[in-house]
Amino acid sequence: MIRRGAGLAAFLVATPVLIGIAYSALASVGLLGPGSTGFSTASWASAFDDPQLLRGLGWSLWVASAATALATMAAVVVAALFRPGTRSSGVARLLAVMPLPLSHLAAGVLGVLVLGQSGLLARGAFMAGWIDQPAAMPALIYDQWGIGLIVVLAWKEFPFLALIAFSLLADRGRALEEAARTLGARGRAVFWAVTWPVLWRGLMPAVVAVFAFVAGTYEATVLLAPSDPLALPLLTMERYTDVGVAKRGEAHVLVLIGLVVGIGAVALHEAARARDRRAT
Amino acid sequence: MTSVPAMLRRGLLPLLLLSAAMPLAILGLASIGSDWFFPALLPGTFSLASWRNVVGTGALLGPALLASAALALATGLAAMVFGAFAGSAIAAATGWRRVIGAGAAFLPVAAPPVALATGLHATLLGAGLGSSIVGVFVAHVVPACGYTTLYFLGIFTVREGGHEDAARTLGAGRFDVLRRVTIPMMHRELLEALLLGAIVSWGQVALTLVAGGGSVRTLPLEVIDYLVAGQDQLAATGSLLLVIPPLAAFGLMRLALRNVELVLP
Repeated sequence: MIRRGAGLAAFLVATPVLIGIAYSALASVGLLGPGSTGFSTASWASAFDDPQLLRGLGWSLWVASAATALATMAAVVVAALFRPGTRSSGVARLLAVMPLPLSHLAAGVLGVLVLGQSGLLARGAFMAGWIDQPAAMPALIYDQWGIGLIVVLAWKEFPFLALIAFSLLADRGRALEEAARTLGARGRAVFWAVTWPVLWRGLMPAVVAVFAFVAGTYEATVLLAPSDPLALPLLTMERYTDVGVAKRGEAHVLVLIGLVVGIGAVALHEAARARDRRAT
Repeated sequence: MTSVPAMLRRGLLPLLLLSAAMPLAILGLASIGSDWFFPALLPGTFSLASWRNVVGTGALLGPALLASAALALATGLAAMVFGAFAGSAIAAATGWRRVIGAGAAFLPVAAPPVALATGLHATLLGAGLGSSIVGVFVAHVVPACGYTTLYFLGIFTVREGGHEDAARTLGAGRFDVLRRVTIPMMHRELLEALLLGAIVSWGQVALTLVAGGGSVRTLPLEVIDYLVAGQDQLAATGSLLLVIPPLAAFGLMRLALRNVELVLP
């Protein structure tokens, strides 16, 4: 009974996604969907011939890597510095996780209001006498490097990683650190020998999840990313909503690439973790 | 002499305060501030015009808010019921069945929303649910069920069913055990799952855009349109409406979670 229940649950939760993947796979080779004319690899060829695809994919991976790295570093620093025990640490930990329930769209709107060329940062720079007009402000949104998007996504993901880092140090870190101190380790030695490995190992699943999520996020990207290069989620949506039916096949190729990035990151991490488990 | 960590702590605290207070402060100011042009640091005048667009006749944001709220509530309820069933079933399984079950639950969570949306769209069109609120609901339910299944998988993995066993020993049937023991004992977890499912729906853009075909207007879609159109005041008001319910839910969850130990991999 229980075995059947687990199988049914797995089937029900995964089926809509698997149908979607199967549909995209068939539509990408012309076997399904509007304008399908029988098996053809034309959509794959034209998607990979288009320099926009590789640039968009590379750009999305760059933004996801940079935002995830920044958020992880901030979470590690805050978790290591603000340990339970004092009132100010408690306040800092609460402040760190407060933006957690904010939606990515609201974070994107904030990004426009703060980082735009006539945003609050530019106004502050004007007041300080650093710039004399909005155009003199360096572009932080819609910019080629995605600086504004990286900052917003790092800020948005930081509370999630910080929450896990706090919990890791409270659960496992404290006892191990005490053991290290008893054995004579001090300051930096405790951090590098105990705190950092505990945080790094424990945070990895969440870091991979953040990377996969950020690489495919649409909400903040549509508000803050440039039109050239076009981020992978935006490029997919553009192809999918194109009036030319022929572009739909390319959209399905991009969907499959997006899935490979998201699910591939999780699979790679699981493989590394399994290897790590075997080695220890 | 002050140590480096103490100096860092002193420097970081104001930054954390800024990070926590900034969303409500800036969005709140932008939602009531008009004539707020460069280089003014504060709005020239204040007005509640954008908030009047939330309620009343001819309100621009009202219908979208209503649609978002209805979708979030329905999605939360459906995902809570499904997640409780699926999570408990997968948690009770062992070996490869459990691994496959957990992997299946991860699938809708790990798939990028745009990929999920385009994949689901054809199925919804085939079922006659394209560009309808029911179609958008079905699309929202898919990732929400992934999240709630994973949530209940964690809950049921560490939960002991001693009370249910005792009730069965005393002659209670399956329905009685569920109604008289499991649901009363798990009302907090069920509420949290409902909120989790509702929050997943509340912020959706890509799934709503594709499944709704642009004709189902929810709050996130209105916010994007107003921001792109340069209507910052309305966009900020809509964003605040998007922020306040999850913040309130988060506050409630923190209260509820005080006595719960977080289980991590």
